[in-house]
Amino acid sequence: MALSLPPALLGGVSLAMASCLALAQSSQVAPQGAPVQGPATTQAVPAPAAQPALAEIPALQATAPSPDAPDPSLSPECRVPGSKLYTLAKLKAVKKALREHRAVQVLTIGSNSGGIGTAATYPVRLEDALTRSLPDIEVTVESRGVSGEIAFGAAERLRNQVAEIEPDLVVWQVGGNDALARVDIEDFTQSLAETVAWIKSHGIDVVLVDPQYTASLAKDDYYRQFVQAIQKVAEREQVPLVQRYEAMRYLATRAISALKGDTAQAGAGFRLADLGYRCMAEHVTRAITVSLLQPDIVTPPVPVPAN
Amino acid sequence: MREPNAVDFWRGVALITIFINHIPGNVFQNYTYSQYGISDAAELFVFLAGWSIGIATRGRDGVPEPALRTVLRLLSRMVEVYRSQLVITAIALAMLAGAALYLDNPLLVEWHNAGPIFSDPIQATVGWVTLLHQLGFFNILPLYVVLLGLAPAFVLLSRVHLGLAIAISVALYAVSLVFEINIPSWPVEGHWFFNPLCWQLLLVLGFAAHEWRRSSERFLVWRRRLMPLGIVIVVVGAVLSWFNLRPDPLAVPEPRLLFIFDKSYLSPARLVHFLGVLLAFQAVFAMIQPRARWLTRQLAGLGRNSLAVFSVGSVASLGAQLVRFWTGGGFATDVFVVGCGLVSLSFTAWFVEWRSRSPRPSSAA
Repeated sequence: MALSLPPALLGGVSLAMASCLALAQSSQVAPQGAPVQGPATTQAVPAPAAQPALAEIPALQATAPSPDAPDPSLSPECRVPGSKLYTLAKLKAVKKALREHRAVQVLTIGSNSGGIGTAATYPVRLEDALTRSLPDIEVTVESRGVSGEIAFGAAERLRNQVAEIEPDLVVWQVGGNDALARVDIEDFTQSLAETVAWIKSHGIDVVLVDPQYTASLAKDDYYRQFVQAIQKVAEREQVPLVQRYEAMRYLATRAISALKGDTAQAGAGFRLADLGYRCMAEHVTRAITVSLLQPDIVTPPVPVPAN
Repeated sequence: MREPNAVDFWRGVALITIFINHIPGNVFQNYTYSQYGISDAAELFVFLAGWSIGIATRGRDGVPEPALRTVLRLLSRMVEVYRSQLVITAIALAMLAGAALYLDNPLLVEWHNAGPIFSDPIQATVGWVTLLHQLGFFNILPLYVVLLGLAPAFVLLSRVHLGLAIAISVALYAVSLVFEINIPSWPVEGHWFFNPLCWQLLLVLGFAAHEWRRSSERFLVWRRRLMPLGIVIVVVGAVLSWFNLRPDPLAVPEPRLLFIFDKSYLSPARLVHFLGVLLAFQAVFAMIQPRARWLTRQLAGLGRNSLAVFSVGSVASLGAQLVRFWTGGGFATDVFVVGCGLVSLSFTAWFVEWRSRSPRPSSAA
């Protein structure tokens, strides 16, 4: 039992270290398989469709924005056009809670960072932002970090956490761990789709948040396919998706043009990641409120007249 | 050094399994027994820790050592495990931050719950040093620290009456399950990945099994008689795992933790499955030992030096993950990183024993 370890531990550890160094717009409006790179092809819901839903939920303080202009309801540093920020789908459970004027319980899964040095964490910011958007309605946000990979057991732990809290809405930052672990995309997709379907089958809404963008991964095919896979699941399972990757890419491009092309500025990636966290609560709130404007009655998609 | 024995051998197996399973997505993961059952190597590791406490708290003649000595022995081991946890966590954080800088990838500092330590360092530093904030895959040693803190109470109780120690352990387990009591994590909301209030039962069962094995003929007889039951449990577990059949946590009755398969709370299904594994595989070491002496010697060597090997394995598995991310993974990378990891585990075991054989360097050196 009694080993004197620390020097041995350090010796072994040095060896180990040395070895390491060597919805697209719900189903109704969205085009199929929106690509991650290239211009975003998703569109926000047309404003007229919002009217019936607004009438049903008087508390909701939101209007559907124009899809291609930077959304003015977002704070200046986080301003991204709707088409690059989210794809939409209905949030039946949250809408039901709003109609019944009861508290909405939200469970956030994933990092709770609100940005470096900020006073409030992401769950606190999300609760504030949702409360502002849904006045008269009590919104409570609980958060859980899920360590590990969806493809290897984390999905099971997530189910247990959902069962523990029984929320109306799960906002899930998904895929980061799996993408870094380079798990098989098929395995990940299957597990994600099953888990989303399971949450929905219990009358709980889901909003997915895809992984972050960073310049060093912009040309990583695996990573791009991974983000696309999440978009496809969101589309197939008809859940709103916060396109964090696309939004951060947009913000990065804007930041680079502001710096007059000085892309090599040290630490730019870290600052962008920080900005991503600062904006996440706003972005998620926007995706939720605009999704709540989705009409309840399913109408066949109206063909868009050719220009 | 002691000859290879079943406890050291199985602990070696658990260490290698944990190392491989902590490199998610690697090709060898599909061949670890964790993929074919409800429970995994963590249960084996904790059970064997209990068994080892049984061995360590008796003298060579089998007489229990004095109470104070037992308490000090277990508490000093607790300090040693805590120290290892701090060292490996600090190294892991530096590895993640170093890789993030080198690869210009801020996502890496978010990996495995490391994010708050960099984005909210004031709270998170207090969190990780007090074990309330744990990195993903670095959560077994915090469990050990608490278990070793609880162990003196159970060992001393067992000297009054072993049944009493087990009864209290079962009661603590049951209450924690029914009322969902766990140690909270901080500053991130949530709970400990391994709930010590539940996992202590396995430690106590490991300890009790050692005590019964010493003193009870009936234990040995029943262990053998129940082997077929163990095999049935293992087969059922394999089928459930293979077809991914498990209870729906929102559909089971309350208290739901009694019915679901939950690792944090060591839910009863996992416990039963693990006891089945023990019964089913009890004779395997005796079968392997005469046929593959090199293998048993290697694995027992790992098991004899489990804390050092586990610590190096934790860091090596994170290194392997970073290499897989950096290179994009693939079969050749997996062979390389797992191979390097196994060599470093083996070297660590050898190195620790070499140090203990060698004369200590003088303080002037």
